Amino acid sequence: MAGKKRGKKRRQAPAQLVIGIFLGLLALLVVFPFYNAILASISTQKEFSLNPLMLFPKEPTLSPYTYLMEATNLMKGYGNTLFVLVLGVPFNMLVTVATGYAMARPAYPGKKLFVFLILFTMYFSGGMVPLYLLMKDLHLTNKLIGIVLLYGGNTFYAILIRNFFQSIPKELEESARMDGAGEFTLFFRILLPLTVPILVTVLLFFTVDRWNEWFNTMIMVRSSDKWTLQVILRNIVFTTLDDMASRVVSVEKTYYSLSLKMAAIVLTMAPVMVLYPFTQRFFMKGIMVGSVKG
Amino acid sequence: MGNLSAVGLSGGRKKGRHGLLEQIKKNRCIYLFMAVSLGWYLLFCYGPMYGLLLAFKDFNASKGILMSPFVGLKHYRELFQNAEFFEAFFNTLVISFSRLLVEFPAPIILALLLNELRDGPYKKTLQTIYTFPYFLSWVVVGSIVLNMLGSDGVVNNLLNMTGIGSQKFLADKSLFRPLLYITSIWKSAGWTSIIYLASMSAVSPELYEAATIDGANRLQRIRYVTLPCIRPTIVVMLLMAVGNTMNAGFDQIFNMYNPAVRSVSEILDTYIYRITFQTSGDFGFSTAVGLFKSVINFILLFAFDRLAKRMGEEGLF
Repeated sequence: MAGKKRGKKRRQAPAQLVIGIFLGLLALLVVFPFYNAILASISTQKEFSLNPLMLFPKEPTLSPYTYLMEATNLMKGYGNTLFVLVLGVPFNMLVTVATGYAMARPAYPGKKLFVFLILFTMYFSGGMVPLYLLMKDLHLTNKLIGIVLLYGGNTFYAILIRNFFQSIPKELEESARMDGAGEFTLFFRILLPLTVPILVTVLLFFTVDRWNEWFNTMIMVRSSDKWTLQVILRNIVFTTLDDMASRVVSVEKTYYSLSLKMAAIVLTMAPVMVLYPFTQRFFMKGIMVGSVKG
Repeated sequence: MGNLSAVGLSGGRKKGRHGLLEQIKKNRCIYLFMAVSLGWYLLFCYGPMYGLLLAFKDFNASKGILMSPFVGLKHYRELFQNAEFFEAFFNTLVISFSRLLVEFPAPIILALLLNELRDGPYKKTLQTIYTFPYFLSWVVVGSIVLNMLGSDGVVNNLLNMTGIGSQKFLADKSLFRPLLYITSIWKSAGWTSIIYLASMSAVSPELYEAATIDGANRLQRIRYVTLPCIRPTIVVMLLMAVGNTMNAGFDQIFNMYNPAVRSVSEILDTYIYRITFQTSGDFGFSTAVGLFKSVINFILLFAFDRLAKRMGEEGLF
């Protein structure tokens, strides 16, 4: 609200202050679980149970982290997730940009059916079991490349891209054609460079989506050496204390299971945590640019 | 059709078969984009839809989907006599409805509050913090929550210190659903509020000025200016929420629930997962449950879209 009168300002200041403080407290509530996770991951059991609200432990230890890196397949999980990311995101972009562009072009024979087929998938799907059977028939289960192929187009992002293509002035295209540009020159040289802002946004969304993928890996991939980070985290967190303890005995060192679990959580979310503040504006642009309406 | 001599306005477009071929030829590059897109969509989205046939078959792994024998509505007759299914169906509806009541308004309220703050580094920092949890998976968020509320987590440590003694929060049936709603708000309200904020920033400042001149206070401006202006956004978000009624949040529940609270938190998706992959699965039966879910969802979405349109809103389709 830019146009505030000076006289008003004085009267409104307390309300604004109250709202500001309230929202600040809410932010603390959002931060607290993360802080607690990091804290628990570097504290000893004794210190954490006696003083769970401390700001920083007196004897911080990184041993849960070294244990996770040495004795579990968490690092392998990092590698698997990166594999899915590096192959998957370009594939996502290929299918999604092609979808968005084909939906954005002016009328051509078959367009209506095409758009219908794409949009229909937003409202109806085969479901978990038929997808599993399909992957099995395609011999794509228990393979990371299967997880890559399984995620191709994303209809929401395709609509974002379509809206962006459609917002480009028609005159630009006409003048390019007048200069003799063919379809591919038009797309790659003229239109695609203009859509870079939205492409960055979609690319980042895909990156987060692939980083966070766990469900289909859990269903499709049986062997644990092919698990992605999230599935390994799930496995560590849901492993019962007994299992942990038996492993702990074998390393002849006492590990605190809460620390181990929290350390695994921290390792899984660290990249998102570190990169988010710098990429936040691109994510937000996704919302500003266009509604997700079909 | 067949009027070959008819010449359209744009570049001599001809109708009829000859014109169609010409149109296809003219747009041949588009079909390449279309092929890339449809190739994936047909295989991975429509492929599984073919598998829905299983809902009416007795699946036999050696025979495959096509050759397995038809059994008509057998799975549905079993389904409607299955107490576990009804429990899951009931929980799905209750949880979804409660989410609409409890979770849906949260980001709107948050956006209204944020909208009252002046732009600046403070507001920006708040938004960064609020939106961050949205970008984490439910595996991560669920794990944090479980560990914080678990026997050696921070909450029970505090309770032990104060002498109340540790509680089994995660096994408490009356606490579990509220826990779902609170954690879901914690994770997503911040991000969703950005959608509403974007919609609010499009409200013309003149409207606020006019309202202020008319003597409207802060709350009245929200009630009579902001809310009516963001109504279309609220309706679209509401329709999308209704379109998710049958889903009820699988990712979250699956990563947070345990057998002790299953009776209040088993939803259709977790039920399908459990009967398919944990107890030895009857794929035909599981598919039948999944199809039931999808169809109800589809009907709900269309019904509410119609309703919204009848009430003068834009709707989804």
